[in-house]
Amino acid sequence: MKHTKMTLSTETMNLGFVRKVEALSGSSVRRCFQCGKCSAGCPMRSFMEHPPNRIVRLLQLGQYERVLAGRSIWYCASCETCTTRCPNKVDLAAIMDALRKLSWDAQGPSKESYVQLANRLFLDNIRTYGRQYEMRLAAVFNVKSGQFLKDLMLGPKLITRGKLKMFHQKNRNLAEIEQIFKRIEELRKKGEAP
Amino acid sequence: MTPAKNLLTYSYYPGCSLHASAKEYDESTRGLFKALGIGLKEVPDWLCCGATPAHNVDELLSLSLCAKNLSLADGVEGDLAVACAACFSRLKVTQHHLADSDAKRKQVEYAIDGKVSFDKPVKHLLEILAKDFGLDKLAATVQKPLSGLKVACYYGCLLTRPPEVPQLDCVEAPTIMERVVGAAGADTVAWSHRLECCGANFTLSRPGVVLKLSGEILASAKAAGADCLMVACPLCHGNLDIRQKEIEEATGNRFGMPVFYMTQLLALAVGVAPGKLGFDSMIVNPLPLLREKNLL
Ligand code: SF4
Ligand code: SF4
Repeated sequence: MKHTKMTLSTETMNLGFVRKVEALSGSSVRRCFQCGKCSAGCPMRSFMEHPPNRIVRLLQLGQYERVLAGRSIWYCASCETCTTRCPNKVDLAAIMDALRKLSWDAQGPSKESYVQLANRLFLDNIRTYGRQYEMRLAAVFNVKSGQFLKDLMLGPKLITRGKLKMFHQKNRNLAEIEQIFKRIEELRKKGEAP
Repeated sequence: MTPAKNLLTYSYYPGCSLHASAKEYDESTRGLFKALGIGLKEVPDWLCCGATPAHNVDELLSLSLCAKNLSLADGVEGDLAVACAACFSRLKVTQHHLADSDAKRKQVEYAIDGKVSFDKPVKHLLEILAKDFGLDKLAATVQKPLSGLKVACYYGCLLTRPPEVPQLDCVEAPTIMERVVGAAGADTVAWSHRLECCGANFTLSRPGVVLKLSGEILASAKAAGADCLMVACPLCHGNLDIRQKEIEEATGNRFGMPVFYMTQLLALAVGVAPGKLGFDSMIVNPLPLLREKNLL
């Protein structure tokens, strides 16, 4: 895929997808002039097959399948270095968020998108407990991702130092928190939120 | 008129980590502020701000969780003091976006079933110490100067970013951590990785990423001659302290680099009892270094 020739035509350019990315991220991809500054500073560059500047270029050319294929978007650390340094105010970190959302909605979870699984469990914790419950987060992630107990080896050491809590923190306003989640789902159902 | 006991008073958002794996950050913050006569009152029933995972998955949810926290904080007197760099960044970003976009504000107001408030200044502890309390006053309060301690101040990603949101210092060349710990007498080193990412969001899902990025940070601090690192983020701390042994095994480097929360070092300097600063819950034992520098 990486080295195949790219033919640009109205059939191969999906600009509708690009518009969606721009709407979700609130950032234009057309501003980019390929200086490469974003990629130069990206700490995750070596883990990606498409460095950040190439992601923007592919978006400009409507090549969404190439953008979503592979691991690049799942290896972005959300560190905002690219956004900070772009001379043209391309908010690449927000574009990465938008790409992750669109990819997950379209293709669901994959082996590359482990990080999103962890992210989703993190959000489940907020919905259930109001706050993070680190023990449970690690345990559930390990089970769901098949990495049984791998990271939990750190657990006993942390528990004896009182760092990992065995019991979760309790919020008294759990009903209000649940309502936030419900209302956002409702807005989306009505088409009133992206 | 009797003068108020605490001249400065803040509402306080600790964030989830400070009630769990980063409890020494919370303890040392409370100890430091008490010693300085700054009042802190925890926002009741605050909820998780969503950190990086929330906006990775769902931006509207991220904004709504933070907006709910801001409205809870409105009920408590004083500007909002935040310790965790990630919480700080998210709360500031939310204020910025909600002030900026009517459409987003309407969605969020519906989600949290109330008016959103974005007027209360959200301040990182560093800002409170450097600007509100003041570096001169801080230096005058020091009882045990951190002299001879070579500290690498590590900002990580979120203390100063993103750039469109005015945060606590220059985006690309901040000095606030150096100035604050410098006021307590420490020597700060010049080093390359002050703002590089530690890989925090991959802690669970891709430990290999963390080992590489955090390994480079530790190596850079070591090469600059630092005795220790100072951080203001529980996630950075987790990667640099808790995983340091693992990083040493993976990279073959030996660091032995204690990783302090900024408030631990400052509290020590202003005379808070070391037993109250959670040094025993750090994985890389800092006591030999502190003894060597006559700080215990
Ligand atoms: S820094 Fe900005 S202008 Fe330069 S390549 Fe990256 S996105 Fe394009
Ligand atoms: S936000 Fe993502 S793409 Fe941008 S510099 Fe950081 S890791 Fe790279």
